[in-house]
Amino acid sequence: MATLSINGVRKSFGSLEVLKNIDLELEDGGFLVLLGPSGCGKSTLLSIIAGLEPSSGGDILIGDRNVNDVHPKDRNIAMVFQSYALYPTMPVRRNIGFGLEMRKVPQTERDAAVQKAAELLQIEHLLDRKPAQLSGGQRQRVAMGRAIVRDPDLFLFDEPLSNLDAKLRVEMRTEIKRLHDRLGTSVVYVTHDQVEAMTLGTKVAVMREGVIQQIADPQTIYERPANMFVAGFIGSPTMNFLAGTLEKDGETFVLRHGDGVLPLPGLAQDVGPYAGRKVVAGIRPESISAGNGPSTLSGKVDVVEPTGPDTMVIVSVGGQLITARLGSRDRPKLGETLTLAVNAVEVNLFDPESGNRI
Amino acid sequence: MAQTRSGSKLLWDLIAYAVLILLALVCVFPIIWTFLTSIKVEEDIVTRNMIYIPTRFTFDWYVRLWNQSGYPVLVMNSLITTSVTVLICLLTGTIASYSFSRFNFAGRTQLMLGYLVVRMFPAVLMIIPLFMVMRNFGLLDSSVGLAVAYTSFLLPLFVWMLKGFFDAAPKELESAARIDGSTRIGAMFRIVIPIARNGLVATCVFVAIAAWNEYLFALMLTTSQGSRTWPVGLQLMVGEFQLPWGMLAAGGIISIIPVIVLFALVQRVMVAGITAGAVKG
Amino acid sequence: MSRVNAASPPPRSVWDSLNPVRLIGELSETRYWMYLLLLPSALLITAVVLYPTVYGMQMSFTEMRLNRPAGNGAFVAFKHYQRMLTDPIFWVSLRNTAVWVTSSIALEFLVGLVAALALNRNLPGTKVLAVLILVPYFLPNVVAGHMWALMLDPRLGVINDVLVRIGWLEAYKAWFADPTTAMGAAIVVEVWHSFPFFTLLIMAGLKGIPSDLYKAADIDGAGPFAQLRLITLPMLKTIIAAAVILRVIGLVNSPDLLLILTSGGPGRSTQVLSLYAFQMAYKDFNFGYAGALSVVMFILLMGFAYIYIRLSKVNQD
Repeated sequence: MATLSINGVRKSFGSLEVLKNIDLELEDGGFLVLLGPSGCGKSTLLSIIAGLEPSSGGDILIGDRNVNDVHPKDRNIAMVFQSYALYPTMPVRRNIGFGLEMRKVPQTERDAAVQKAAELLQIEHLLDRKPAQLSGGQRQRVAMGRAIVRDPDLFLFDEPLSNLDAKLRVEMRTEIKRLHDRLGTSVVYVTHDQVEAMTLGTKVAVMREGVIQQIADPQTIYERPANMFVAGFIGSPTMNFLAGTLEKDGETFVLRHGDGVLPLPGLAQDVGPYAGRKVVAGIRPESISAGNGPSTLSGKVDVVEPTGPDTMVIVSVGGQLITARLGSRDRPKLGETLTLAVNAVEVNLFDPESGNRI
Repeated sequence: MAQTRSGSKLLWDLIAYAVLILLALVCVFPIIWTFLTSIKVEEDIVTRNMIYIPTRFTFDWYVRLWNQSGYPVLVMNSLITTSVTVLICLLTGTIASYSFSRFNFAGRTQLMLGYLVVRMFPAVLMIIPLFMVMRNFGLLDSSVGLAVAYTSFLLPLFVWMLKGFFDAAPKELESAARIDGSTRIGAMFRIVIPIARNGLVATCVFVAIAAWNEYLFALMLTTSQGSRTWPVGLQLMVGEFQLPWGMLAAGGIISIIPVIVLFALVQRVMVAGITAGAVKG
Repeated sequence: MSRVNAASPPPRSVWDSLNPVRLIGELSETRYWMYLLLLPSALLITAVVLYPTVYGMQMSFTEMRLNRPAGNGAFVAFKHYQRMLTDPIFWVSLRNTAVWVTSSIALEFLVGLVAALALNRNLPGTKVLAVLILVPYFLPNVVAGHMWALMLDPRLGVINDVLVRIGWLEAYKAWFADPTTAMGAAIVVEVWHSFPFFTLLIMAGLKGIPSDLYKAADIDGAGPFAQLRLITLPMLKTIIAAAVILRVIGLVNSPDLLLILTSGGPGRSTQVLSLYAFQMAYKDFNFGYAGALSVVMFILLMGFAYIYIRLSKVNQD
């Protein structure tokens, strides 16, 4: 039995269609990440799952219960907001226990549950403070404590780390993962940060303009993106897109691009029908290394960006700019002609018109 | 037991509508009734059987009121007093408000608080000495004198309201103007005031309405038709002439027309600010 | 483009030195500009408010009766204040003032709050309804008073008519002539007139409450009344305090409405302090005693404001 099933859910605000026919399922104990740029509808979908907004059509099932018109408080869910939404006039203790208080749970039980949650999140020493006296990270923990203490069927996170600084974000990300491993409750997590999606999710749904582009585990999304949008969204720096024509050279396919020919041995895709047509090759910077090999690209060095552990080199190949992730020792000079080896197995070919993976 | 979310929202929406419509009716009904009375024939007003929807109309009351007891003079006096009050507030209050908004100087909070505290003084306490002071200056029973007296409680209000609007105008614009070579006063007039223009208009309208409506000070500080304002005049007519309701109603309606007009001007600023969405997050 | 020589500016002409616009401009750059800006209004307020008030307080210690030319201005120390203690009208006025102010403010707050909450739901048509609901506050006291006097008139009041028709009254009632109902009727008029003040301020405050708090409360299971009690009202505390204090000041200090509606009658059922002081001055021309009464009002107000602010600050921790 899946914890969450979404069937054919739509949402329109007047004539503006924000969600178009969403189908997805979350298995018990899974961690689903709704990933996408702002405006793609992920937060709206989360609100609909929570019951804070009605859908314009479709069904939401939590467990095997249709909760379409059920009040948020009766859905047995808990939510962590981007702004934390802590009640400013109550101490932390009451903030965390508020959900239990509203359900008339007796004081002693409440206190015990609050204590347990506080210990789990290492905030026992903050229990008598007010939210205004806490730092961002501490407020974050209190918000999570409030969610945990109710032992719900489903956790909903709405971009919880967006208001934290970079270092704190990494720390809290690990915290969230640790909590999920410990508690095993299913999670739906909304974010625009693909690093969070990759590290936290068991399943990632990439959304764009109200449509799910692809749902799969993080590794699949990274290695075999369903279309150019997903390919470009995941991975930093973004995937390179090299336009050209697909040709057959004996047994292997090659890409004829503006500046030459790139052999593509070991391609995982079935690209036979596309021979002779225009395609776009998606090559991740990580798939490119300095030096020679069976598939190479060469061009003039445009920009060199040392990042510490790597060096990003942008090379102009027949007018198209290609970014390569090279080692920290590699320091090519500007204007120098560089030969780069491409790991063709990792290349994905896309149809230039539809953007879809072939 | 699960409560349906859409059901409960609908219920509260209906309750809200009911409350609002009821309140709106209660708020507006007295005005409507007074207006109806002002155009009803005498027999229809003082009748055993209450007439809710009159079938015959007359503007007689308005005509009689206008011709009687120099009502036009009263209205004119009020107009003059109101205009002078707004003028004084504009001239002295705008620059004071600007100073409070833009500069942080020693004693600023105390002064601001001081401007507010003066409103705590009972009107009666001030009126008597004010009466005597004005008599000495020959400002008694003059529209200008009354206007000056009004500034006692309207100027602090003006300064406080306008400060809010000035605060909302970004300070960077003036800094940019000064770098471009403008003086402080130049920046004040050329940049900030145009931006705060809406707020300035709204504040002036507020003060104008308050000055137009004022009764107590006018009662004590004006003693004859010379500069008497309409509230005092109307009230005195009630006592003196056993004013028929129709005429009183007409007087009321005439007097609140400027208020309604001014209110219509300023309501958009207020209601827009009110009904805009809440802070997200 | 040649570089401008940033050396000395061109020499000034005589006209330039005397140009008033430029002089003011230069004045605005001085250190004291901010104080200069305050000068006109500060002078005005000192002359028109502070001076008379101090003079008035001083008068409360003197015998000043405008209708008795002899003995005016004589210093009598606390004579007026002593008289107050044994003056039964003073005590009745004090009690009535308390009733008048507390009832009016409580009701104004309640109605104002309900209106603000309903308007805040932002249903279609809210803008129109908001305008209508705010109107009473901007009407003059004089007209508001007479409108209601008309509707409550014992001979032709429409409210009387309606109440009789639906059976709540047996006959037309003279609301303002009956000592037991006069205060109540006056309170109704006052609440009708001033509740929009609370609505305006509360709505401004409501906008400052983040909507996420209510979403979290929905999920936590808090119903609408719990949300009102635990989220909305605590966050409105400062604004409510400001509104209450301002309104109390207004109600204690100005006798306008009661002057028009009842003049303190019938009997002494609606006699409040401000009215009493006013009548002392305007009818009896006993400026000394009126001054003393006003000073007492002022002290009461300051005391109230102080206590109220202390109470709400103490709760804030």
